[in-house]
Amino acid sequence: MNLTSDRHQSFYQITIYLCGFLLFMEWLMPLDVIGEFNNVSIFYIYAAFCFFISFIQMNWMISVPLKLIGLLFILDGLFIGERICSGGWFTIVYDQILYNIQVIQSQQWWDMTPMFRSLLFLILLWLMSYLLFYWFIIAKRMLVFVVLTIIYVTVVDTFTVYDGKWAIIRTFILAMVSLGLAHFYKEMEKESISVKSLRVTYRWVVPLVSMVILSSVLGFASPKLTPQWPDPVPYLTSANPGAGSGDGPGNGPVQKVGYGENDSRLGGGFIQDDTPVFRAMSQDEQYWRVESKDTYTGKGWEDTLEEETSEVTSRDLEFSTFTDDVETEERTSFLDFTGEANFNKLVYPYGVDAISRFSQDEFSENLSFQLHDNTGEIDTFESGDPVQLEEYVVDYNMPSFEYSQLREADEEDPEEIVEQYTQLPDNLPNRVVNLGSQIIEGEDNRYDQAKAVEAYFAANDFEYETEDVEVPEGNEDYVDQFLFETQLGYCDNFSTSMVVLLRSQDIPARWVKGFTGGELTQETASVEDQNLNVYEVTSGNAHSWVEVYFPEVGWVPFEPTQGFANNADFYTEVEQSDDGETSTDEDGETEDTEEDNSENPNQAQQQEEAESDEAAAGAGDDNNWTPLWITSALLIFLAAILFFVRHRLMAAYLRRQIRKKPGRDTFERAYIFLLKVFEKRKMKRHANQTLRDFANQVDARYQSSDMRQLTYHYERMLYRNEQGSEQMSKVTELWENLIKKALS
Amino acid sequence: MSSQTVLYQPKISEVLRNINKVIIGKDEEALLSIVALLAKGHVLLEDVPGVGKTMLVRTLAKSLDCDFKRIQFTPDLLPSDVTGVSIYNPKTLEFEFRSGPILGNIVLADEINRTSPKTQSSLLEGMEETSITVEGEAVPLKKPFFVMATQNPIEYEGTYPLPEAQLDRFLLKLKMGYPSAKQEMEMLNRTSGTHPIHEVQAVLSREELVALQDKVEEVYVDATVTRYIVDLVRGTRNDEGVYLGVSPRGSIALMKAAKAYAFIRDRDYVLPDDVKYLAPFVLSHRMILTSEAKFEGSSPEGIIADVLSKLSVPVQRNVSE
Ligand SMILES: Nc1ncnc2c1ncn2[C@@H]1O[C@H](COP(=O)(O)OP(=O)(O)O)[C@@H](O)[C@H]1O
Ligand SMILES: [Mg+2]
Repeated sequence: MNLTSDRHQSFYQITIYLCGFLLFMEWLMPLDVIGEFNNVSIFYIYAAFCFFISFIQMNWMISVPLKLIGLLFILDGLFIGERICSGGWFTIVYDQILYNIQVIQSQQWWDMTPMFRSLLFLILLWLMSYLLFYWFIIAKRMLVFVVLTIIYVTVVDTFTVYDGKWAIIRTFILAMVSLGLAHFYKEMEKESISVKSLRVTYRWVVPLVSMVILSSVLGFASPKLTPQWPDPVPYLTSANPGAGSGDGPGNGPVQKVGYGENDSRLGGGFIQDDTPVFRAMSQDEQYWRVESKDTYTGKGWEDTLEEETSEVTSRDLEFSTFTDDVETEERTSFLDFTGEANFNKLVYPYGVDAISRFSQDEFSENLSFQLHDNTGEIDTFESGDPVQLEEYVVDYNMPSFEYSQLREADEEDPEEIVEQYTQLPDNLPNRVVNLGSQIIEGEDNRYDQAKAVEAYFAANDFEYETEDVEVPEGNEDYVDQFLFETQLGYCDNFSTSMVVLLRSQDIPARWVKGFTGGELTQETASVEDQNLNVYEVTSGNAHSWVEVYFPEVGWVPFEPTQGFANNADFYTEVEQSDDGETSTDEDGETEDTEEDNSENPNQAQQQEEAESDEAAAGAGDDNNWTPLWITSALLIFLAAILFFVRHRLMAAYLRRQIRKKPGRDTFERAYIFLLKVFEKRKMKRHANQTLRDFANQVDARYQSSDMRQLTYHYERMLYRNEQGSEQMSKVTELWENLIKKALS
Repeated sequence: MSSQTVLYQPKISEVLRNINKVIIGKDEEALLSIVALLAKGHVLLEDVPGVGKTMLVRTLAKSLDCDFKRIQFTPDLLPSDVTGVSIYNPKTLEFEFRSGPILGNIVLADEINRTSPKTQSSLLEGMEETSITVEGEAVPLKKPFFVMATQNPIEYEGTYPLPEAQLDRFLLKLKMGYPSAKQEMEMLNRTSGTHPIHEVQAVLSREELVALQDKVEEVYVDATVTRYIVDLVRGTRNDEGVYLGVSPRGSIALMKAAKAYAFIRDRDYVLPDDVKYLAPFVLSHRMILTSEAKFEGSSPEGIIADVLSKLSVPVQRNVSE
């Protein structure tokens, strides 16, 4: 061999060994987070020291004492107060060794002293430095170690608090580099490649480099936690009328979020505004409706039916969005408006029945209510002037919609409903209509069709965005722009698009405005011996959503916006008397989801097959031009993919389990898994925290009550020793909602 | 439907409402007193004079249609003034037993630390038993038997501290605390005119009360939760600042109280939340701190909070096995 190739050789050796060292560091890194070590950096340094000594291949007569001295030096610095090698120093070391040997003999592993544990650990580092040198430089077999490292990082990430995302990316890059080099190095040895023939290296350099780049890209694109924003509506607040509708929100660069009147031109970004609007004391979180709009112009919403109003009294509000066939439950909520907001309308929950005052006395006689019959807007006037009610009590009949009632509702809509609520502008682009029919294809009833549209946005990576949102210019259609160009927006984009998509398929739907349930505060209020939650609703909670018409049922709310959950209650009727009927219903549900999820398990299977194929090919023939490193790279690549989707795979698996075998064991596993996913999403339940406490925390963040409801059922199984919940389908649904939110 | 809402057991909520009419802003103390009542335990109320201790007990007693006895402890009170005494009747030539106030259903032992230890013992000794011994004869106690004792903090003059060893006869020890300014104003408003206590009506009969007590015993406590209770109690024994930790009687007390609390919350099973909430009220008077710990300003409540913060809540079956 000539000199040049020698130099090349040592360059390869250094690089490969360095890769080995860095890979090994990945093993030490989690200790900082999960272990009881306070001085991890000392161990890094010692490992580096040992690796270095191994690499320069000194005579063992020198290298062993060197490593030993380093080891003693560290132990001394960490644990022994006495001067090194003084009499007292030896006594301590001797005592330590004697004590720990006894401990080991009696197998009380946990009683080992920290010093002794560190000693063992340092020896382990020493051995590893030697072993890795042997594997990487002498045997040139690094695949095993690389794969082990990936498995290790995955396991540590999955079962501990250590966040292995970056670790896996680093490992991946290191693996590519070292395996690629190792392959080349072997070839070179075999054929004694000269400098000149190095030019052919492009044959492997190109794929190698592209692999490294690909891996980095994959790392960056991997699922990240998307923050949850309160959903804002980009209107000008009524309290701030100066910036009125004249300019059109689209022209001003920034708007303030809040509840506004004019929706004729939607779009544009806005800034957050947390001005409180009201406080609601109620049992559950719920949406607060204000009004609906019926005419879509291509740029926004207008109300052509506004004229029809009627005078109503507080005792009898007579505004019902659903029919008497819907199950309801009587509820009462208490609302308290802050002075800051100026809001001359009633906000009310679905099923509003009557309003009254906190105290016993009646509203003043001069107070009147003006109900807009079609939109549901209720204006408040005192002696003819608009006025804001400071506080009131709403009695309402909270609706629960029954799935089969919705699925089986006939689709003969009354004529006036069809006329008003399937309206669309003439110049609506055709592709919107086409998309609508594509989405609902295969669904045979209106409920599932609406659900399909609702789910479309989440399934197609539409993103929630408040700042950088476009306004349609010229002939552009607001919905078309969102669906096909930007795919970026907030509640108005989502809700308007859902209405338009439904209408394009002749399904009557309308656009509703109001507020989300607000933020659950720590307080509770006890009113008339009920303990109620207190929610604070701010301008930032202004929201828009969708109502779909079902004959015999009425208007049913839907929630297409990413990151928001429908607050309306749906249930499946369980008829004890007739087994046949219930099971068909359940079957329907099961089929649905299995279809949804079949993708993932299949994928996993394919991956497995691919892996074993490749492995077989690689093992079969070492000198084949199908290079070993391609096989390895693929293996690692697949391992990395598995790493990134493991939570999703697990979620899909559990979802199937819980549907197939609903019961205590599956529920427990699913619930515990949910806790783990939350933990990864920086919402950790502390060991000393009760489930209820934690559920409150989660719900406060997602502004819903799902986690509390789910936890209630879990508590009953765990602490009441119930074998299963009677409401397993409800439990499953809650769990699915939550896991979806946690994974998004 | 979701059963998230926190409701009270209907009968109990009537009693609570009654108390609320008289005593302002002491809902928690009232609730905890009822916990002790339903758990067949006794309560010690400790605070400075004039914060409504006596009034709370009187209102609770008036809400229950039971035999109510009040003992006002004074330095010269004798044990026989508590338990009763046999008196020779010259006509029948026999000794007749005249029962003392301890033989009531609800006994208010007011300012218990103003009397001598001997007289205190005559009450305290009866509290864990179903009968007392007077002059060699066993006299059965009534059912239900519920003692609410009030005392002034020991630092006040003219008091005999209760023997620490007997404090654990009380299921719960509560402090009242001052009312807020708003509450105090409300109190002034209400007490002008006839005092609201005169309008309190009994809402729970003796039989109903006994039935409720029996139901409390049926409340289910899962093994995971008993384990949590035991770990908590043992934790107090291992703390550095503790001279004498909570005894096994303390674990029993904590479980009984938790059952009653769960029942009042209209639940038939105990949650770790219940245990966590009740721990300071049930355990703090059952431990004695070392003098160093006291000197350093730690309190039993602080130590309990500390132990709780280090204790894992069970969230899975059979994990700790
Ligand atoms: N929180 C309160 N609510 C209503 N009344 C109160 C309250 N605190 C004190 N009082 C009133 O103060 C007076 C003294 O209360 P009392 O029960 O005799 O105090 P204590 O027994 O603690 O010395 C009573 O008239 C009582 O009604
Ligand atoms: Mg008093």
